[in-house]
Amino acid sequence: MKDVVVIGGGPSGVACAVTLFDKGFDVGIIEINEELGGLLDQCIHDGFGTKLFNEGLSGPEFASRFIEKLDKSTVEIMLNSFVKSVNPSDKTKEITCITPQGVKKVQTKSIVYAIGCRERNEYEILIGGSRPTGVLTAGAVQRLVNLYGILPGKNVIIVGGGDVGMIVARHLFLEGINNIFMVYPEEFFTGLPRNIQQCILDFDIKFQPQTIVKNIIGSEHIEAVELVKVDENWNPINGTEKTVKCDSLILSVGLIPYSDKLEEIGAKIDSYTNGPVVNEYFETTVNGVFAIGNLVQIFDYVDDAVETAFIAADGVEQFLKNKTHKKDGFINLKPGENVNCLTPQRIDKFLDEISIFFRPGITCKTPKILLINKEGKILKKFSKPFVRPSTLENLKIPLKIIENEDEVSLHVKAKED
Amino acid sequence: MSKQKKTSILCIRCPKGCELKVSNNKKDIKVEGNECRIGLEYAIEEIKNPVRIVASTISILNSNYPRLPVRTKDTIPKNKIKKVIETIRGVTIKAPIKQGQIIIKNIANTGSDLIAERDMERVKN
Repeated sequence: MKDVVVIGGGPSGVACAVTLFDKGFDVGIIEINEELGGLLDQCIHDGFGTKLFNEGLSGPEFASRFIEKLDKSTVEIMLNSFVKSVNPSDKTKEITCITPQGVKKVQTKSIVYAIGCRERNEYEILIGGSRPTGVLTAGAVQRLVNLYGILPGKNVIIVGGGDVGMIVARHLFLEGINNIFMVYPEEFFTGLPRNIQQCILDFDIKFQPQTIVKNIIGSEHIEAVELVKVDENWNPINGTEKTVKCDSLILSVGLIPYSDKLEEIGAKIDSYTNGPVVNEYFETTVNGVFAIGNLVQIFDYVDDAVETAFIAADGVEQFLKNKTHKKDGFINLKPGENVNCLTPQRIDKFLDEISIFFRPGITCKTPKILLINKEGKILKKFSKPFVRPSTLENLKIPLKIIENEDEVSLHVKAKED
Repeated sequence: MSKQKKTSILCIRCPKGCELKVSNNKKDIKVEGNECRIGLEYAIEEIKNPVRIVASTISILNSNYPRLPVRTKDTIPKNKIKKVIETIRGVTIKAPIKQGQIIIKNIANTGSDLIAERDMERVKN
């Protein structure tokens, strides 16, 4: 029986497996694809690892820092393997997976889920019209272009002003596509400033804010889209429709934690993050089952995602060594005013300092960030020079100031003028 | 003022992302819109000598995938991006390739080498 099995061989999963191996545990890792590295295989641009390694690496370079360590370890690596079902019973957990050698059952004491996120698609946002070929998600395009050299088309329309859309726009431009047009409903791009400059402004890529795709036109393959302007509430403005010809439509409309698999085994899912409810060690509501990386909530930097892997590795160690010197009870941590989502949602009083990640709901300078208890008492004030929804923020909360509460919430308030 | 060339740059040194208005009349560079000194330095650097890392792919034979991701090892002047891309296009190499291996030395006379971003094993003959 294994001490721990990591499901998912992306950056978080690999980092977690390596860390657990270094702690002396018997570790296995299951990956659905033929190689480790996950999403980073296709992220060939630079800028990964600025926090963790203090240098700007490409995606494959960042991933290989951990994969090399894993290759040197005795961690059992199962590639091309699909997890069919998991029995998460308290004592021995059993993972049934389909491998190239047949169906295998793996017994383990604990499990770390690191299966990442998925892209939202044309069925999840309101786009009318037909459903021809040539409508792709940005991640799929990135993979096709960067690994297989297959271009989506010559006249490309990209929906969404976030980081993934901008990075794909640059790749397509550098691969020789000159006709790229980006539209998004917000007033301005929603991704990181460095991507706006280095992907869009550097190459004069055309874009139109406050615009969405109303209809997709085309019977077999996409022929055009009908664009429409929207107001600040994203409601279409009648009479502003315009048809634009294209041969492909790329959707970059958000990522969602791939939490269905955890829901299947009974883990509680948070409606704000769409990921599992976790404690400060990233343990889900299922005993001995942990979740890390983009499965928990969408991170802007892979460095932060990997940080969750390190914390969860400590949690697994705690679990396996059956240490229970935690204080009684737990604290619910809730997103308050202008906080879109946060993790962990539950604090089990394991650590003296809790690292929390939250996504602000507003853009503002020097906001007041307040931790408030159920009675409305301010427990702690934090300051940040600037917050915006596109940047996930991190705070460290000392357990001391909240240990006697049963519910606290985090609020972001705009500075009064 | 009206004769001066005004350029708009987005500061990328912190998440704030100030929109910098830079006017350059050859003698001196004026920066507006920056909220700190870092923004001022960034704007001047961006006007005098903007640099970038360029990442793209080249064709590779006998490997698992038909494309190999490559990048410039160091930053290169922004105005050479096009030249670098033109040089890369049409290049084909054969697996095996090791991560960090130099694919093109001193690409497009930028002073930087083009390197492989990953290992690519030989899988076919």
